[in-house]
Amino acid sequence: MLHLLTAVGILVCAIQAIRSRRLIVSALWLAGTSALVALELYLLGAPEIGVIELSVGAGLVTVLFVFAINLTGEEATDLKGLIKEPLAVVVTILMIVLLGILLVPGVDRAAPSLGEPALKAVLWGNRQMDVILQAVLVFCGVLGVLGLLGEKESTPTGQTHSEEKG
Amino acid sequence: MILSVPNVVILMVVGLLGVGIYALLTVRNLIKVVVALQIMVKGAMLALVLAGRLQGQENLGQSMALTVIVADTIVAVVGLALAVQVRRVVGSLDLRALTTLRR
Amino acid sequence: MAMTWLMLTIGLPWLGALVIWLVGDRDEKFTHLLAVAFSVAAGGAALLLLPYGKERLLFAIPMGGVFGDFTFVVDGLGVFLAAIATVVGSLAVIFSVDYMHGEQQLARYYAFVLFFIGGMAGLVLTSNLLLMFFFWEITALCSYALISFHNDDPKAVAGGIKALIITQFGGIGLLAGALLLYAYTGSNDFQPLLENPAIVPAGVLAWMGFGCLIAAAAKSAQFPFQTWLPDAMEAPTPISALIHAATMVNAGVYLLARFYPAFAIVPGWREAVMICGILSALLAAMMAMVATDLKRVLAYSTVSQLGFMVYAVGAGGVFASQFHLLSHSVFKALLFLAAGAVIHSIGTRDMRQMGGLGQHMPLTRAVFIVGGLALAGIPIFNGFWSKELILEAGLHGNPLWLYGLMVLVAGLTAFYTVRMIAMVFYGEARTGLHVHDAGSAMKVALLPLAIGSLTTWLLAGPFGHLLAESLPAHHLEVHSTWAMVEEVIAAPATYLALGVVAIGLLAGWQRKRLIPLGQALGGVSKAAAESFGFEAINRGVVIATQKLAEALRVTQPGLLNWNVFAIVCALLILLASLAVGGR
Repeated sequence: MLHLLTAVGILVCAIQAIRSRRLIVSALWLAGTSALVALELYLLGAPEIGVIELSVGAGLVTVLFVFAINLTGEEATDLKGLIKEPLAVVVTILMIVLLGILLVPGVDRAAPSLGEPALKAVLWGNRQMDVILQAVLVFCGVLGVLGLLGEKESTPTGQTHSEEKG
Repeated sequence: MILSVPNVVILMVVGLLGVGIYALLTVRNLIKVVVALQIMVKGAMLALVLAGRLQGQENLGQSMALTVIVADTIVAVVGLALAVQVRRVVGSLDLRALTTLRR
Repeated sequence: MAMTWLMLTIGLPWLGALVIWLVGDRDEKFTHLLAVAFSVAAGGAALLLLPYGKERLLFAIPMGGVFGDFTFVVDGLGVFLAAIATVVGSLAVIFSVDYMHGEQQLARYYAFVLFFIGGMAGLVLTSNLLLMFFFWEITALCSYALISFHNDDPKAVAGGIKALIITQFGGIGLLAGALLLYAYTGSNDFQPLLENPAIVPAGVLAWMGFGCLIAAAAKSAQFPFQTWLPDAMEAPTPISALIHAATMVNAGVYLLARFYPAFAIVPGWREAVMICGILSALLAAMMAMVATDLKRVLAYSTVSQLGFMVYAVGAGGVFASQFHLLSHSVFKALLFLAAGAVIHSIGTRDMRQMGGLGQHMPLTRAVFIVGGLALAGIPIFNGFWSKELILEAGLHGNPLWLYGLMVLVAGLTAFYTVRMIAMVFYGEARTGLHVHDAGSAMKVALLPLAIGSLTTWLLAGPFGHLLAESLPAHHLEVHSTWAMVEEVIAAPATYLALGVVAIGLLAGWQRKRLIPLGQALGGVSKAAAESFGFEAINRGVVIATQKLAEALRVTQPGLLNWNVFAIVCALLILLASLAVGGR
């Protein structure tokens, strides 16, 4: 079934994104994950969100990653983590199992069909605060990035380092 | 276990969360951390849409998923900007180099 | 309309704090101007709120299921304390224009002062116990930040940290009370509890009562928590006047007075409160008699007077204690600000290096004497009437030796007041001191307080009616001002107390003759100088807390992997308990 295939695809892409050595390859696997998640969203009956996820997740974020990786330079990421591997695996599997036990039984039921207002009514009407806060969030994010990447500001560390690196 | 649509989606969600947590436990590169956060947020988004569909309020679930997408994109943007700055100031993207709290 | 004034009283200082913080230190005069403008506006809003106190209005801002409603109650107790906080606050800010002239980082100072004023107003006007705890913590934070304002001076920083740690112990008591209230009544609003204490089981009520007592004792520097207040005198003097004399330390007394109907039936609570008050009053008065730092004497005197108020609440005289709170805020703020004028001009706080300043600082001497006479309880000044009411409240239904002790403390108060005034303003002038009288902004702040010390007792009648009508649960009996005057003049107890005060005054004036007596009691005076061993205990507590914090540092290495690991482990425990326990 299509859902099952997509599910397997998503998990494979995600695991590969984590496991690959080179950062660019990691970012590309993440793009793949995003694309498959967009497909899954469409299959679940949320086509608008699927489209947005495709363009933002597989497009914008991937481009950002590529930019950032170029700016910081590629590094050999061969280092071992600070938690021992087996311990991390065990803890993760425990968590997955427990969450599964808690969530799966309650989920399998038919959806009631309530009459519901159209998407745009919900989005701009009931969830108006969400939209306003999203705009504020974007604004703050832009300010944050400008503040971080602007080198002419008067932080002493920023100045000395920009003088050192020319 | 019946492989109905909700079950599959839940397993997907839990799987993504697990992969993200495993990554946060073991990676040392700051950019990989941002990748891990992105993966976890995709899981959360799927869960929201599924929950909306199960309650019969798909549009509500979609609106919340939209909010989540915006928020997590901003997180990625700011996180990557931080990573770039850290690389400039500290000289490496290794998490260990950032622990000035340790004695 | 009342809602508007209420929101302005709390919101204007906070808005001012934000504006001043954003404006920064660019222009000193502008910062002073902003601070004065916002604090005076807040004072105006609080005064406009006063008439609504009689009607006991309740406002609620719904905040969803978890926090309940943020409720505010405009009743007599709340509005009068809010008025004191904002009016004395604005006078302290006006005083700071001269006192902090030329200091660095004024924006931080004024922002915290205004933030504090708003927090204090909110504390007394709310009827939601969790919200009260929130405001309580805001005042503690501002107190710490302002005590350590000169953060390059290790003594100031140590004083601030000590005040913070000790008052936080008290805060735990208040939080426990709030959580117990929520658990047993399902809401954080304490009005139902005041009207009917039986809605909480008796054992739990006792825990809440003693928790509140500990919180109040820690905040008001009562026994056994009294050592943080003298060390808090490292703060700039307007801060000492505002926070540690007129407002924050009153929060403890306010808490006790507010919750009196609920806890009066807990066996042993009233006795504990009275003993706490008496011990604080007595010990602090003794320590004030031997202290040589001008602000320390005033600090001990504050502890002692707060002991009077706490004793009055325990004895059942809630009106007497609030009336004395009103008088005390006015005259103690006056004394602190006048002392600030002296310290600002001389540059030292040690009284042994002062003397004969009266010739060069006539106005300061005059207002200081007014404040001192009010403190000592001389007739006509407001301190006399309120102290007499307290002493009489204590007489009903309590052992006579308690009353005797309090009269003794009144006498000791007179003694150390005269000693303080004589050491600073009279005697021989030392050479080499540059002395100038108070600046004009200081005068503007001092004069209203001096007039207040002479006249606030006239408000006893209206004030009493305000409290009685708006606090139905407290069952207060009040009279008009003239009736109160008659009652005080007619009571023989008054003359006994006056006699003891006169002896105290005389002893203070003639203290050179009493030196042999002082040497005979030398052991006691040395113990008093060491605060009877409590200093050592409190120092131990502070050091233990800091060592524990250092030891726990190893769990915070700053590594993402470890932190996520800890989070996941906690999540696993939570999930496991949910899975096993059923949902």
